Amino acid sequence: MRRSLPVAELARDGRFEQASIMDRLTDPRAAVNVRKASAGTRRPALRAGQPGAPDAARSLMHGIFTGEIQALEGAGRTCWDFELGTGERQVPFALKLDMARQCWDEARHVEISVKLGEWMGTEIGEFAESTILYEAACNDDPILRLTGVNRALEGLAIDIFNTMREFGQATGDPVLEFCEDWMLADEVTHVKMGSDWLRRLTAHDPDRRDRALEFQKVVDKLFSYGGIRGDDDDSPVRLARRFRELAGFDTAEIDEIADLSRQAGRERAERVAARGRPPAVRSADVHPIGADLHSERMAR
Amino acid sequence: MVDFDAGTVTTIAERLFGEVGLPPAVAVTVAIDEATPMARAQIESIDPAVIGVEGGALENPKRIRQLSEARVVDVLGLLFHQLRDRLDPTFGAPPVGDELPLPHKVAWEVYAAGRVAALGYQAQRQRRLYHFRNRHGFTDAADAAFERLWTGRDLTWSEVAGLSDQAAAQATVTS
Repeated sequence: MRRSLPVAELARDGRFEQASIMDRLTDPRAAVNVRKASAGTRRPALRAGQPGAPDAARSLMHGIFTGEIQALEGAGRTCWDFELGTGERQVPFALKLDMARQCWDEARHVEISVKLGEWMGTEIGEFAESTILYEAACNDDPILRLTGVNRALEGLAIDIFNTMREFGQATGDPVLEFCEDWMLADEVTHVKMGSDWLRRLTAHDPDRRDRALEFQKVVDKLFSYGGIRGDDDDSPVRLARRFRELAGFDTAEIDEIADLSRQAGRERAERVAARGRPPAVRSADVHPIGADLHSERMAR
Repeated sequence: MVDFDAGTVTTIAERLFGEVGLPPAVAVTVAIDEATPMARAQIESIDPAVIGVEGGALENPKRIRQLSEARVVDVLGLLFHQLRDRLDPTFGAPPVGDELPLPHKVAWEVYAAGRVAALGYQAQRQRRLYHFRNRHGFTDAADAAFERLWTGRDLTWSEVAGLSDQAAAQATVTS
């Protein structure tokens, strides 16, 4: 069995299509949303009173589903990829046991996510899959893997699952609320495993710990999705402070994640502003038999 | 900004126009805002008939900035049915814009989407049921109201709104 499986070789059937996260972050149409946000009119997509909230929840749930598949794949790789030992590219047996336990949890989450997708009327593969989670699990330093995946990405999972749990509560959806609460408990455990192993394996190597935390910051900032995950009232995905504390984050760390998110949001707004205004309006007139039908393209 | 082909949209719209049974004398403008990834779609006016669609509503969820023909059918099929409803004096006069309560809006969408499904198109019944439950409660009463709307034909606005109100009255939501 090979070690370090590249992301291009992940096993997927024809229902799945992969999309680059950079495609979405550099979408020129994002200019409209960011300008609205700057004008103070951004409204979070996942608030029960918003007309588009059910579809936003469906899309997010599908993202959770593909994320769980990759989390399973990532934990499985971390369980296998490293030799036993005390070297920098080696891990203790107890860490492999924790990764095996995480595989068990993630496999269950995949099953739950499939059922939730059915509940919400979403087909497997209905939305594109971003492989960034698995890519973060490809680092050949086990400590960077754990900080990138277990602390940064599973930390994001805590925020997202809490947001979905609250959405389920607000809409009176007993299935969504229960399932998200169930998975949230596991994610707290996964993050705590990452925090604990980071501390244990770098107890006598502060430089390595600093490199790992720096890598975590990079992943945290990338996964604020240009400021979508944040600590502000209008953040579509809110930082789940209390659950992060249970998972081993201290207040300073959580505050830093919030700051990184605001920074990511500002940088995204600056990139968009630098692109300038959308192109001029073009229109196309079509005259079908029996009716006058015009299709116009317009940019507001 | 997007790879939307106006000809494809028009071809689908022409076909739906006839299948839905809109009056031939009605001229419909479909105005697509390609500069936004948002997904709002609505009837902007009746006379003249204008349907406004934000580009995200027609976008392929698997391939960013690409057109989804299934979504064109979903969006225009639903709105053409609602336009026909508004043009039919026997249907009644639903409120317009922000005066239309969200539960009633969703109920009317179910009624329209059910008729799109009856034309033989994939109309994502479970997705519509999930939307309906979000606004009317996760109850047997809501599911029963949904079924009547989904399979209903020749309903009036009063009946649509009445089914919505009856379902919502049974909902218990804890926050």
